[in-house]
Amino acid sequence: MTDSAPGSGGRDDPAHRPDGGQQADASTAAGELTVPARKSDYEEAASEFPSMGSIRRWFVTTNHKDVGILYIVTSLFFLVLGGVLAWLLRIQLWAPRTPTTTVLEPLAYNQAVSAHGLIMVFWFLSPFAFGFANYVVPLQIGAKDLAFPRLNALSYWLYLFSGILFGVSFFQGGTFAGGWTMYAPLNVPTFTPDVGASTAVLALTLFVASVTVSSVNFLTSMHTMRAEGLTLRKLPLFTWSILLTVWMMLFAFAALLAALIILSSDRLLGTTYFALESPAGSMLWAHLFWFFGHPEVYIVFFPALGVMAEVFQTFTGRRIVGRKWFIAAMVLVALQSFVVWMHHMFLTTINLQIKTLFMITPIGISLPFDLMVFALIYTMLKGKIRFTTPFLFVFGALLLFIIGGITGVFLGAIVLDYEFRGTYWVVAHFHYVMVGGVTALVGGLYYWFPKMTGRMYDEFLGKLHFGVYFVGFNLLYFPLFVAWETPRRVFDYSAGLQVWHQLATVGAFVLGLSFLIMFYNLTKSALSGDPVGDNPWEYATTAEWAVPSPPPLENFPGLPTYRDGSLGFREESTATDGGVATAEAATPSAAHHDEREEHVSHASFWPFVVGAGTFLLFLGLSGLRDASFPEGILGSAYLGTAALGGVVTLGSLVFMGLEPFHGPALADGEAWPFDGLEYGKVGMWIFLASDVVLFGGFIGAYVFTRVAFGWTLWEPIPENPVPGLVNTYLLLTSSFTVVLALVAAEKRNRPGLVASLVATFLLGVGFLGNKAIEWNHLFHEGLWLSSNVRASTFFLTTGLHAAHVIVGLVVTLYLAARAWRGAYLEDSSSVEYFGLYWHFVDIVWLFLFPLFYIL
Amino acid sequence: MSTTTTDVGLDVLAQTGLIPRGTRAFVFERIFEVFLALGTAVGVVVIGYMLYNAYKYRAGGGRGSDADRPVLGELPTGSGGGRKLFTSFFLSTVVVISLVSWTYGTLLFVEEGPEAEDAMEVRVEGYQFGWRFVYPNGHTEDGTLYVPRNESVRLVVTSDDVFHNFGVPELRVKTDAIPGQETETWFRAEETGNYSAQCYELCGAGHSFMTATVVVMEPEEYEAWYESTEGNESETGNASTTAGATAESDLGGALVEVAG
Amino acid sequence: MNTKLYTVIYVVLFVSATVQVLVEFAGLAYWTAFALIIVLSAMKAVLVAAYFQHLRWEPRSLTYLIGIGLAAALALTFAASYSIL
Repeated sequence: MTDSAPGSGGRDDPAHRPDGGQQADASTAAGELTVPARKSDYEEAASEFPSMGSIRRWFVTTNHKDVGILYIVTSLFFLVLGGVLAWLLRIQLWAPRTPTTTVLEPLAYNQAVSAHGLIMVFWFLSPFAFGFANYVVPLQIGAKDLAFPRLNALSYWLYLFSGILFGVSFFQGGTFAGGWTMYAPLNVPTFTPDVGASTAVLALTLFVASVTVSSVNFLTSMHTMRAEGLTLRKLPLFTWSILLTVWMMLFAFAALLAALIILSSDRLLGTTYFALESPAGSMLWAHLFWFFGHPEVYIVFFPALGVMAEVFQTFTGRRIVGRKWFIAAMVLVALQSFVVWMHHMFLTTINLQIKTLFMITPIGISLPFDLMVFALIYTMLKGKIRFTTPFLFVFGALLLFIIGGITGVFLGAIVLDYEFRGTYWVVAHFHYVMVGGVTALVGGLYYWFPKMTGRMYDEFLGKLHFGVYFVGFNLLYFPLFVAWETPRRVFDYSAGLQVWHQLATVGAFVLGLSFLIMFYNLTKSALSGDPVGDNPWEYATTAEWAVPSPPPLENFPGLPTYRDGSLGFREESTATDGGVATAEAATPSAAHHDEREEHVSHASFWPFVVGAGTFLLFLGLSGLRDASFPEGILGSAYLGTAALGGVVTLGSLVFMGLEPFHGPALADGEAWPFDGLEYGKVGMWIFLASDVVLFGGFIGAYVFTRVAFGWTLWEPIPENPVPGLVNTYLLLTSSFTVVLALVAAEKRNRPGLVASLVATFLLGVGFLGNKAIEWNHLFHEGLWLSSNVRASTFFLTTGLHAAHVIVGLVVTLYLAARAWRGAYLEDSSSVEYFGLYWHFVDIVWLFLFPLFYIL
Repeated sequence: MSTTTTDVGLDVLAQTGLIPRGTRAFVFERIFEVFLALGTAVGVVVIGYMLYNAYKYRAGGGRGSDADRPVLGELPTGSGGGRKLFTSFFLSTVVVISLVSWTYGTLLFVEEGPEAEDAMEVRVEGYQFGWRFVYPNGHTEDGTLYVPRNESVRLVVTSDDVFHNFGVPELRVKTDAIPGQETETWFRAEETGNYSAQCYELCGAGHSFMTATVVVMEPEEYEAWYESTEGNESETGNASTTAGATAESDLGGALVEVAG
Repeated sequence: MNTKLYTVIYVVLFVSATVQVLVEFAGLAYWTAFALIIVLSAMKAVLVAAYFQHLRWEPRSLTYLIGIGLAAALALTFAASYSIL
């Protein structure tokens, strides 16, 4: 306690720490390669790749660091958009408004309030965090890139285009106006008839597609591409927080995808899941939404927690107290997040047993957070705390989170929750938590800014930003606790609360304008700030600080390894020449990666085109209502846009498939729990796990609706199960032929492979043909998607399955064509991965058939 | 007092004042005060401790040696201090769990509500954008709910169109109004006067103005009013006499009890 | 890769799909038939996953992965349905 740190003078200045300050023991094995890395240790990067200054680079790049920067810049744009909407709200709330004194028309206010929530939660918060995740995680795990670089770029473009699509929705009669929770049945066209509302739902669907692609990619990468010695338990806390975030995203967003597809179908095709006449449509939406919605709270908050842990460690100069408990607490929260959703539904018709259960689980989930907060606080003890801008933001974030957490406990007591429901107490509480998270992420931006740009930001302006931000934050959100009696999304509040709302409005402008300081600071510093070395922060430990700023394209001078207990770089050539690295993996595709001088590719134009194609497709589809386009030119325009979008999407996916592109080679590091599996297989299985939840959401919606309707009163739609049985036979047989295709490919039997794939294709076409006959028959009997909720669930659930079959058939055709030309005999993995998907589609049918035809 | 509860044990607990009983407004205020006091105390202590240590261990403050600082490239490990961590964690667990269990007793009380024979029942129907109140005799009021003072009122709440939420903030009563579903809640007003009801779930363009008035009257006054509505009803239509009769006897019973 | 094994599995699947429909027409009590039919579906699903998708021969983690997804979906379905009973 009485240590007086002798001889520490001079080392406190973070910006001027000499590179040679590192201990020599950090690298031993390779001898020549040192930690931190020297620029001269890197091989020449691929010269055909455009430079940072080139516009073209940003359209073709698949490099994780570029994609990270794209995410960050784009998300900040959406921050501004969401922030301006918030200003509009706060201006409206300056005084209680009667219908004649509104600034925004009531419906415009509802649009602003909904769009503000959706944009901030989906298009700002998570993508902002995933900008850092993209940039930092591969560096922290010792990978050259993510496992599927083009899919990573695709995630970004889907994200950007989904955001643009959301922007378009404002100009189609008005965007969605039913709140970010989109409660049913306000979310169906009966009550929100604008085309823009459909577009907003579709934009969100496209965003979820982006998230799903990204989740699969991150999970595959983080589990299978870690450097030697970097077991899961040894991962840095930021990477840990992202790992858990992505796991939650994989499952939670799949449930949201189910909800959004059903909602899109209600809006565009006229199904009646959420319609007024559905037996429990409102409750169904609430369940589906909150099953996603509660994990989403942690999905947006965990990355902030990871940033807090990293920044605390660096700027207190102390390792995190109780690190393993910190990790255990996060794991516990991630697991529990899926069993707390009904505490958002305490005032609905759920029964008392369920209420009791869902009162206990949220308390269970709040306690691990206590532990994390205390761990961070105790980390400061015996530290050498340097109040740099990143630390100030993160420290402030912890403080705000404590307030957010305490006010959250109020909501855990149901009797209080009953009264807080729908009031500004909830608004204030979740803004303290979520914007508290933003505060930490802003700290992260300052923290990694020197790494990303190679230049230091202006410390004075950074601290000024923090000061103004922190004052603005509390001026904005704290008065909302005092004015908590205000009902949410209401602008005609009681006059006695006006002073608090006016304070909040002032705070909103202070908070918003504080970002101008940041934008100015970071723009100016990126162009002309002081150059920094590898590591401007004393006591930073993670690998991104051991490489140049910004890191070269392929990150490390050699193969990163923690074999000796700390980071070192091995000469890569020894690994590839001797085949040591890949020998253990012993996969059929290993030979594929063995060519020498094969560099990882960094450029592909197709992800951008796919993104643009889906944008057009979804924009076109937004014009649908009750399964038909409107009459006249407008309808034709929508139809044409959708058709064009469909062609572009499909075409660009095919080109992307044909394009020669080398992802990172299978690494020789830690891969628990997927040791010995190729990226493709791991990725496919992870995707299928999310698809399980997607279909689970659909089947769950069906079961729920049927229970509400009365289980045994519900007659199956098809009177005759025989067509369904025939389809079962067809699909089972097609599964068998896919297995035969794989056997043929492994035996290098080209005719057998082609014949099996063609047989699969024909069986699949037979399945669809049979289904078409059956549906046509039902249509002629006068049954349609909108006839009743029984028909809706039948057509939509089996329709989603049919869509999976169609996707499978497109892939089969592609595989057959390539097999005809001799592909897959060397490396049958594509056939195998496709088989996994196809069998899954088969399995789903094995349950849909009894549920929809015979029970 | 009109509330009679058969459960003597719970009653005794309530008598001690540990678990607040009474009107919902009273129950809420009591719990809210305790939470607010404790929450503020915990917040001040934790944040104070945090700020104090941040100052105490600032760089250049002369504390902490360089002996064991994190090093670039090391495999992450944790620092010691586990005991302190667990003590704090344990304390916070005790505080949170005891607070919430304490309120659980109140939840059961609130959930159970008044016994059926002790309470009058009104059906509340939300619609875009207003509230309709249907009395047992079939009388329908639009926008105003008349209730007698000091009597428990059970509300059966539903919606004609979208998801609404019916709340009367001053009486601390609130429940969702869901189309096709019926939620139940109750309240008792101790003072006469006008209270405002409001929609608490975004329901469309008129959400901000989707209000109603709750008029709490003296029981005799209420009875007179209620009698008059029966007259209206039988004039205008073929109101079911049995419903009216039951309502009357319910009301009568309640009034007797209030008087007693 | 054993074609004969795959063929046997395929035949079993085919037969049990037929049996499943026959159960429906056997005139059993609704919930008995319900249980039988669901069990038959689950059995077929396990066979496809274990043999056609090779899960039997893959690291167990892949099975757990799918199991977690399944558990999440079932939690949603049952808890939501129970809440309105």
